[in-house]
Amino acid sequence: MNSRKKLRHRGCLKDISEFLDVSRFVKILATVCILLSATLTANAQNQNLKLPSKTVTISEFFTAIEKQTDLLLVYSDVDLNVNSQVSFAQKEGKLKSFMDQFVKAKGIRYEFTTNKYIVLSRSSIQDNKNTSPDGKTIITGTVTDKAGEPLVGATVMQKGTKNGVITNFDGEYTIEAPIGSALIVSYVGYESKEVKATKNARIILDDDSQLLKETVVVGYAVQKKANLTGAVASVDASKQFEGRVISDVGRGLQGAVAGLTVTDPQGEVGSNPKMKIRGAIGSYEGGSSPLILLDNVEIPSLQVVNPDDIESITILKDAASASIYGSKGAFGVVLLTSKKGAKTDKVSFSYTGNFAWENLSKDYDVAGVNGLQYMLDCRAREKDSSHTGHYSYDGLYTGSYFRVSEQSLQMTKDWIEKYGSMGADDPVVYGRDWFYESGRIYGIRPYNIYDYIIRENAPSTKHNITVNGKKGNTTFNIGLGYLSQDGMFSTCTDNFKKYNASVKLETEVNKFLTIRGGMMYSTFNKKYPFLTESGSDGPWIYLYRWSPLMAMGYNEDGEIIRSAQSATMQAASQSQKTNYSSVNMGVTITPLKNWQIKADYTYYNKEYIATLPGSTLSAASYRDTPVVRRDANGNKIYVNNAGQVVSEDTEGAMVSYKLPYMANYNGADKPNLFKRNHENSYSHTLNAYTDYTLRLMDVHDFKFMVGMNLTTYDASSQYTQVTELTNFENPQFAFGTGTWTGGGSASWSSQLGYFGRLNYVYADKYLFEANLRYDGTSKFPTDMRWKWFPSFSAGWRVSEEKFMEWTKPVISSMKVRGSWGSIGDQTVSSSLYIPTMSTGFSSWIGGNGTRVFYVNTPSAISASISWQKIETLGVGVDLRLLNNELGITFDWYQRDTKNMIVPTDGVNTITYGASAPKANNGQLRTKGWELSIDYNHRFANGLGIYGQFNIADNRSVVKKFGDTKNLSDWYVGKEYGEIWGFKVDRLYQWDDFETDANGNLIYRELTAADTDDPNCIGKSSYILKPNADGSKPVYQSYFEGSSFHFGPGDVKYKDVDGDGKLSKGTKTTDDHGDLVKIGNSTPRLEYSFRLGADWKGFDLSLMFQGIGKRKIWGQGPLCIAGYKYSDGCMAAAIADNYWREDHTDAFYPAAMGMGSGNDSYNFMVNDRYILNMAYLRLKNLTFGYTMPYALTSKIGVDKARLYFTAENLLTWDKLRGLPIDPEVETGNTYFGSPQDRTGVGTPTFKTVSIGIQLNF
Amino acid sequence: MKKTIKYLLISTAFVTCGCSDLLDRESLTTMEDTNYWRSENDLRSYANHFYETFFPGYGLEWDRDWAYSYSTGFCDDFVSEGTQSYFTNKVPTSLGSKSESRGCSSEYYGPTWGFGLIRSLNIFIDRLNTVAKNNIDEEAYRHWMGVAKFLKGFQYADLVSVYGDVPYFADVVKDDDPDTMYKDRDARGAVMDSVYVLFNYALDNMRENDGALFLNKYIAAGYISRFMLNEGTWQKYHGTERGGGDAARAKKYLELAVKAGDMVINSGKWSFDSDFKSLFASFDLSSNSEVLFYRHYDASLNITHAIGSYNGGSESETGVNLAFIKAFNCNDGKPASISTIEGANDFSLANLTKTRDPRFDACFYNKPDVNSSSLIYHYKYASKEALQYFEATHNVIKPTWYSDFNENDAPLMRLGEIVLNWIEAKEELALSYGGAAVTQEDIDKSINAIRQRPLDDDAKARGVQQTVALNINAIPEDPDRDSDVPALLWEIRRERRMELFNEGSRIKDLRRWHKLNYMDYDRNPDNYLGPWIDFSKEVVMPNNDTNEYLDKLIGVLTVQKKDGTRVTYDGTNASEMVGFYVVRNATNREPFSDRNYLAPIGQQQIDDYGQRGYTLSQTYGW
Repeated sequence: MNSRKKLRHRGCLKDISEFLDVSRFVKILATVCILLSATLTANAQNQNLKLPSKTVTISEFFTAIEKQTDLLLVYSDVDLNVNSQVSFAQKEGKLKSFMDQFVKAKGIRYEFTTNKYIVLSRSSIQDNKNTSPDGKTIITGTVTDKAGEPLVGATVMQKGTKNGVITNFDGEYTIEAPIGSALIVSYVGYESKEVKATKNARIILDDDSQLLKETVVVGYAVQKKANLTGAVASVDASKQFEGRVISDVGRGLQGAVAGLTVTDPQGEVGSNPKMKIRGAIGSYEGGSSPLILLDNVEIPSLQVVNPDDIESITILKDAASASIYGSKGAFGVVLLTSKKGAKTDKVSFSYTGNFAWENLSKDYDVAGVNGLQYMLDCRAREKDSSHTGHYSYDGLYTGSYFRVSEQSLQMTKDWIEKYGSMGADDPVVYGRDWFYESGRIYGIRPYNIYDYIIRENAPSTKHNITVNGKKGNTTFNIGLGYLSQDGMFSTCTDNFKKYNASVKLETEVNKFLTIRGGMMYSTFNKKYPFLTESGSDGPWIYLYRWSPLMAMGYNEDGEIIRSAQSATMQAASQSQKTNYSSVNMGVTITPLKNWQIKADYTYYNKEYIATLPGSTLSAASYRDTPVVRRDANGNKIYVNNAGQVVSEDTEGAMVSYKLPYMANYNGADKPNLFKRNHENSYSHTLNAYTDYTLRLMDVHDFKFMVGMNLTTYDASSQYTQVTELTNFENPQFAFGTGTWTGGGSASWSSQLGYFGRLNYVYADKYLFEANLRYDGTSKFPTDMRWKWFPSFSAGWRVSEEKFMEWTKPVISSMKVRGSWGSIGDQTVSSSLYIPTMSTGFSSWIGGNGTRVFYVNTPSAISASISWQKIETLGVGVDLRLLNNELGITFDWYQRDTKNMIVPTDGVNTITYGASAPKANNGQLRTKGWELSIDYNHRFANGLGIYGQFNIADNRSVVKKFGDTKNLSDWYVGKEYGEIWGFKVDRLYQWDDFETDANGNLIYRELTAADTDDPNCIGKSSYILKPNADGSKPVYQSYFEGSSFHFGPGDVKYKDVDGDGKLSKGTKTTDDHGDLVKIGNSTPRLEYSFRLGADWKGFDLSLMFQGIGKRKIWGQGPLCIAGYKYSDGCMAAAIADNYWREDHTDAFYPAAMGMGSGNDSYNFMVNDRYILNMAYLRLKNLTFGYTMPYALTSKIGVDKARLYFTAENLLTWDKLRGLPIDPEVETGNTYFGSPQDRTGVGTPTFKTVSIGIQLNF
Repeated sequence: MKKTIKYLLISTAFVTCGCSDLLDRESLTTMEDTNYWRSENDLRSYANHFYETFFPGYGLEWDRDWAYSYSTGFCDDFVSEGTQSYFTNKVPTSLGSKSESRGCSSEYYGPTWGFGLIRSLNIFIDRLNTVAKNNIDEEAYRHWMGVAKFLKGFQYADLVSVYGDVPYFADVVKDDDPDTMYKDRDARGAVMDSVYVLFNYALDNMRENDGALFLNKYIAAGYISRFMLNEGTWQKYHGTERGGGDAARAKKYLELAVKAGDMVINSGKWSFDSDFKSLFASFDLSSNSEVLFYRHYDASLNITHAIGSYNGGSESETGVNLAFIKAFNCNDGKPASISTIEGANDFSLANLTKTRDPRFDACFYNKPDVNSSSLIYHYKYASKEALQYFEATHNVIKPTWYSDFNENDAPLMRLGEIVLNWIEAKEELALSYGGAAVTQEDIDKSINAIRQRPLDDDAKARGVQQTVALNINAIPEDPDRDSDVPALLWEIRRERRMELFNEGSRIKDLRRWHKLNYMDYDRNPDNYLGPWIDFSKEVVMPNNDTNEYLDKLIGVLTVQKKDGTRVTYDGTNASEMVGFYVVRNATNREPFSDRNYLAPIGQQQIDDYGQRGYTLSQTYGW
């Protein structure tokens, strides 16, 4: 049950045999393993052995043992020519008998150390344990790998002597050698190491397989990493995902590979993160998402894969490596390879489980009292018809539903002084918390919605079990996974649950034929409150919508008050459920040892079901006129300003009101329905290919491959809805009494491709690869359906050259690579090629009382349209230094989207009467670079450290795009994502303005005497003082509104071009006035680094991920001051730092209403208030402890690890305290559109968890 | 093993052969132009997509572009608080749409600049000629060609009414034909001559009946009478600078208007059997004999609108002004200034609804309502029951008239309008183009036929009376009549104002009559006033708490006495608050000029043309 990992697979026998053959002088070495078939027998010595003849080669003899028993041969300090013959007395008999004859013939010894090993040696292990008579010291120690697992059968030799031993099952050795003498420790697959002999040394050998033998899964093949010529990165899934609380592979890959951008634009679990390889944009029309394949089959979503089922991930970044997958791989390929069965004959189990707690990753930091003041200031300014610049607050009120006035604001301040704060359990009391006056409700008490609807430390848990094994010629892997994540609403049971199950099976029927099969099942369900039919806003928006005066909780009578709290509490739970199942089977035929034929077929079926059950919502509603509270006798109830009931004649007594309780207030409104959406899709994929390897004259290595790939996809969907549900306890169609509606859709597509590849390696130094794919897709009309895609790459392993010999101490290996490839892009809509006519039912009701069926105008297409082509040119260098401890990989690339489909230039869309049809007239060029650095080192004391650093950058520039020069459109020379805006000089102060005798601003119509700007003459504005040099000041009147005039505290924009006018020109590249480029919304300089260490079973790793450069112009109340001030919610960072007469050095301008605008007045896109979205985030911190093997093995556990992890624990950003997550994208949410407001979607979470990993 | 390879190769070959079919996966859910136009059914389905665009009626849910009462408020009938909505006063930076939406400029009650619908209709015409013609019979071909040409004429006539000169596209514009795409605007007359041809084709070839709620030649005739009257009078009243001044064209268009009107009137298929209210507040207009064409709404199909709530008391609205009220006929067929009936000069709402033409009672609530800027709440598009229900229970309103759940049908083309188009065209022909004089018989068929509409029961119960017939020999002499408008024409125009109130025609009428100066409210102080009120007695407030409401009106609420003096509420003089209601802060709109008769086009578009070496001319005066 132990040391499974150390056993080499069958192929090693040959390697070692040859090795011994050609390098006789090496006496050592360990070896070989192999165990096979047959059931375990109690006594190895009594097992039977049958040989083909009495005389066999040593190699044949060993093979027979290995094949017919489950024994492993280990030999050391013996010198065997495995091709030499050995004769036995019989063909068939007991193993012991054969062994006795064998050692006698060869003059060596053997030992059955357990049921599994036969150790061949010159002298037995036992002999070495004796104390030496010649005074040498007996030295003992342990040999382990980096993970601390003992290496069995490693050789420990005293340098320059024949004195050597091998390690036992615990990796322990005992050798007699002088202290301080040199010991050479070696083991197959590991780097040999020379150490000084000490007592009780712990010797750690580094795995050399990843250096020379490490292989990477590439398109339809496995390639030695050393021989890669394309831009390919691989990720060790176990390292990347182990012990992390991630719900899907995508989130786990964030920061793992330079050039792979993963963004999590909103935190909702169950949603797919966005993945892009090398650049944010592929073309004007199409997408740029990579092709995601699981075992060479496209999967519909990363959600369906359990990260624990993944063995390795390869990212194919350039056309040279991706073109084998045809046009779907135009923007790179993410290859996931699932875990296969074990390599040795045993069954092992592993279990990982963790428990996590989630919180908002960023503090809920919205405005309190200052925000109320801001609202009043906005209103006062709006109402300032006298244009004095001094505002009156008399009789002023504002706010939605719960108003604020100057008087009520003072009451709020008093309230806070008196009561501090109250919790969600304190009832809302009339007189104390709100009052009704002049037909308006005023709020006094500030509420924090966070306390009412957010659940802190929302728990989640994850469990995975893997059973992995091999029996005879059959290997298998079974994976089971469970993930449950509770949502962050305290008011309802929103949650996400996911179950995964997978089985993989492979059997070697005979040496020609291997067959395999597998199944995968995944189901996940998101539940959340059903608030509106469209779900357009989602509940999260209410966290950022209303002022703190919006009442929540319960009133004096125990009735709940209408709010996001009451609604989420009462709403029925809607669910979005996905079921995914796939089955695959395949065969490998090996007609010759260098010829392989493989065929794999996969079918998957995906089903999505959304159920939207209605509910009744009832609450005391502020949307209706308050009513007088009366006692049982119908007398009015009077209260004082503490909300206590008092008699009518008490001083300060006031009539008490209450919000009327509205039962079923959604009545005829929409959540009162039952609806079900159902989508089903299925796909067939067939991959068949064959490869042949050829080695000529010992230096020319060829590998040929041809194959085909066929995919079909069919999808259909439908929905049914009934209104006026009558049974809310059991929402079913049967209980709907209202109107029935339904609809559906269907689509299908298919793709067929033939491909071929040639690899040629000369002398292990010069590498060349050519790919060709002939691809057909149903997306295009017949005449442009088929396309050839060639690609080429080459590499030069410079370090293998003789003239590099001298660098060896520093440069362990060095390779330069280059590639060029072309792929057709089919991400564009097929309707660009076909004049489609959409259909539907009109809102026009015909004479028979039903809606009429209609067919729409054919879409406008251009007859000459064709494929767009993605061409990638790249060069790279792979460098390993300092004994392979330090690795550097650098890539530079240029990706051209040629023949880019863009609107036909010169079409006057207005008279043409439709959008310009698209034609291949554009070109986009993305240039970028990637750098990865990794470092590993293990100190002699066992402390291992490692670090990895990735950084990547790219820019996309429009190279061809008609003649347009509009800044808002694409134009030649435009960098994708660029933001044009004004520069801000500073905020105006009173000093900038002329005032009259009363100290009031002067407001009048501007004349030519005031300004030379024709856009301002004739407009009424506040009069500015002349510039210091006496010249006319720059007026911004053109950008004013009827109730907004630039005054003290407002933004003074820079007259960049110095023409005395503030202007946007015609917003073209030729004439952009004072607009300049002020940033770019594309993430730039994406970087990540991982630091880790382990020591004596403890391991620590930190993964940081960040964006160096990204700016966006934010939208909505969290970034635009005064966005919709009457709603009330705004960022505290704004409310606490805006210009008032007593705070003139504020960052934000004076209060003003933006009327839901995002680009006007003080917030015309500018460089002062642009959001800097650069950030650095501690994505993951893991601290683990692996219990000593010696301890756990006693209870049959190979490995037991306890760990603590934290995701998104720390974030450094430059958002000036705004409650916006730096990873967000505006307008992106699981629940539809959050009204295009930045930062109001589902927040990202930070998670802490503890977990356990067990292998046995 | 060799067998296995063989099988593998065979199966690969098999899959490979099957591929050509496999890749034939055209869209499952859309039609394609290249294999459409197979049958009359295809033509009908294509035509169906135009209906909701051309005939919005009351709109759809909260989408109220073009909807009566929502997009029809820009005219001299209404007065809003504060500054009156103003005319375009500068050239827009950019204007134009490539979509098939008609947009809606309420300043013109017309479409915005764009030719998406023209493209769609030109495709219809092209495919009818090139493809469908071979697949359907001659009669069907002519009908659908008639439908396509009628709609194309409809859109062009509307575009012309807003912009004057517009580029006319006889055929589908091609994306590689810049000379056509960037051609300058064609002269108004030339465009309308083409429209004239389209309309004649429609009248000659469309079916008399193509099923309820689908276009036929009578419906087309109704619209043609509207468009041709509009263009004929434009030619008469406007000079050449705005594309008018062509007598021959004026005559030709007016004659077509009369011809189209004759076609409907003489068919005998429609008559005035319904009361006025029923035309607008019925849930089913299918049996209404006055209505040629309407939009049907049905909540069970989720096809509803929101106009009922804007007219049903639950939403506030802009009210009509005193000038409009004074222009309304008393039931003796004369405006208040010369009417001899009792109460002719009593402008309290309770009296007005009793003494004016019955259409007043059908259009205006009989009590002052603070939901209206002038306290006169117009509810033409809601039932009487809607307001009574609202009044009785206040905040709770019958769901039918609440929110966007309204489902009363919208009349689109009715005999009432057609006879008024017809009689006006006839009179204009008689006045200026040698047409036969209008006879008493003509007036009886039109104005008098309208006045003899039955009264609804509620109106009858409250003593509302039909207006007496107009006698050609005793045309009322209105002292307020413009001197350039003959008396009969003046009365025809008055009848039109009453009949088509809030249906969007008023602003178009002012434009074609060259009477945009009516929009200058300072010319008549009555424009800023509401009805005669006794505030503390009459005005019912939400919450039933008038006193509390009044408190907030200190210094704001003003009434105007008969002698023109004004009294403002100071908190103590509630009893003096009797007089014409002065609409709060109402002031005149910004100045405008004759250039506002036609809309300017976008500067961006003009620049675009210029950059490519073409010319796009700006509208005259802009």
